[in-house]
Amino acid sequence: MPERVGIVGVPPLEIIARLNREGAEIVDLDEPQVQESLGRTATLVPQVYCAILRTVVLNALHLHLDRVFVDVGPGKCNGALHIADTLADLLSVPILCTENRDHRPFGFPLCTTAMPLVDRFVRITKSVQSAAPHEARPPCKALCGFWGVPPRDFSVLKPFPPQTHVFGWTRCMENKTPADLDLERHCDPHLPTVFFTQSFCAKSALAWRLGRQHPQALVIDCDVSPSNSARAKIEAFLALSGVPLADDHASG
Amino acid sequence: MLLADFGTTYCKILDTEQDAAPRILPSRELPPDFRADLATGHNARHRSKQALNELIALARGGRRLVREESFVLLDCGSRDLKFVRFAKGRVADMGWNTECGASMGFTVELLAAYYHLDYATMRVPQGGFSVTCGVLGMSQIFDAVVAGASEEDAVACFVRGIARNAWRFAGNPDRLHLSGGLCDNPLFLACLPCEVQPLGRFVLLEGLKECLPDDPSSLQ
Repeated sequence: MPERVGIVGVPPLEIIARLNREGAEIVDLDEPQVQESLGRTATLVPQVYCAILRTVVLNALHLHLDRVFVDVGPGKCNGALHIADTLADLLSVPILCTENRDHRPFGFPLCTTAMPLVDRFVRITKSVQSAAPHEARPPCKALCGFWGVPPRDFSVLKPFPPQTHVFGWTRCMENKTPADLDLERHCDPHLPTVFFTQSFCAKSALAWRLGRQHPQALVIDCDVSPSNSARAKIEAFLALSGVPLADDHASG
Repeated sequence: MLLADFGTTYCKILDTEQDAAPRILPSRELPPDFRADLATGHNARHRSKQALNELIALARGGRRLVREESFVLLDCGSRDLKFVRFAKGRVADMGWNTECGASMGFTVELLAAYYHLDYATMRVPQGGFSVTCGVLGMSQIFDAVVAGASEEDAVACFVRGIARNAWRFAGNPDRLHLSGGLCDNPLFLACLPCEVQPLGRFVLLEGLKECLPDDPSSLQ
């Protein structure tokens, strides 16, 4: 029976490669894995807290795991460091903290190719579980940009056209260099760009700073799921910037 | 073609073939089967053949009415705030606040009705309340009255607080174009700490006019 290992953030490549060799099943605890309410974590984590880290705790409450690797430090956040303690209180399995400082770039073909944005985020987040090189993909001419982390709820990505270039920590994630702050800061001033963060995330300060400096930016944060006004802001920003919305999104 | 801005408390309706000017109707008096051809606002999806995002309607209406390349347009609705900032003819920033701190026109109207106040005759207060939350802001009115302030002065302080909130939400501009029912509220206008150009209540309808299809039968 393969070992079932939870990961939080992007653990170092060396660990992912070892888990791949051992045939372990890797479960990304940052993503919703169970159909339960986040309210179930209310006694363990403040409700006014990053929804991704609350999701980590919710998953840990319901999944049978043999080990958990929690990446902490510059490649993730201090929130994960403290959540690691919460997991240690909850679970009777090893909770192993790592600090990913990998700097060998794997490239970010999915961030720059033309493909529905939700599909690309699914593939990028899935790629964290493998140490294999990325499949080559042709870059496309970008119509707009999305900067930020993979959202807790991918539905926020639906209005974006397939020719959206992805920046920020998601690009670091695909590049397998999650602590590369220079890469995370990078954006294209010629592209209308949505700067996204989870509510209550420390990265919101960076999003605000980059958004202020960018000539055509929308800075937005969402907690668990995007509100109607958040969706409307994104749709309006893209439409008014002359960017065609994804096929299933009318301008209304 | 029937255009509508389905606001939370008031609907603004224009029949492009029959009306010389838009009509205003309290939303609660709208017949249940009323449907527009093209609409914006909270109930637009349920009450029209085609709905347009409110921020898009606001921006397009602003472009139609304001002959400037760079300007800030703020819409103060019954319960929310929206703004669009244009720079060199392009949308540079926008926002939409539907949270408690956006406590807006509906609250202002309720207060006037309850306390029997006329905003046209009220003095602009020197100071005001910090209204970070609509409910707490109301509590400040009650507290001020208990402490001896007149109801009129207390409400004026509340209005000043939400006017300042709205101005800050729009990015503290030196000058702004204002849309929505509060254009008709002299106290609110006077409490905005910048130059104000009121555009009235029909800016979003103007935005809808920009989006009229060449073929009306294309609306489904």
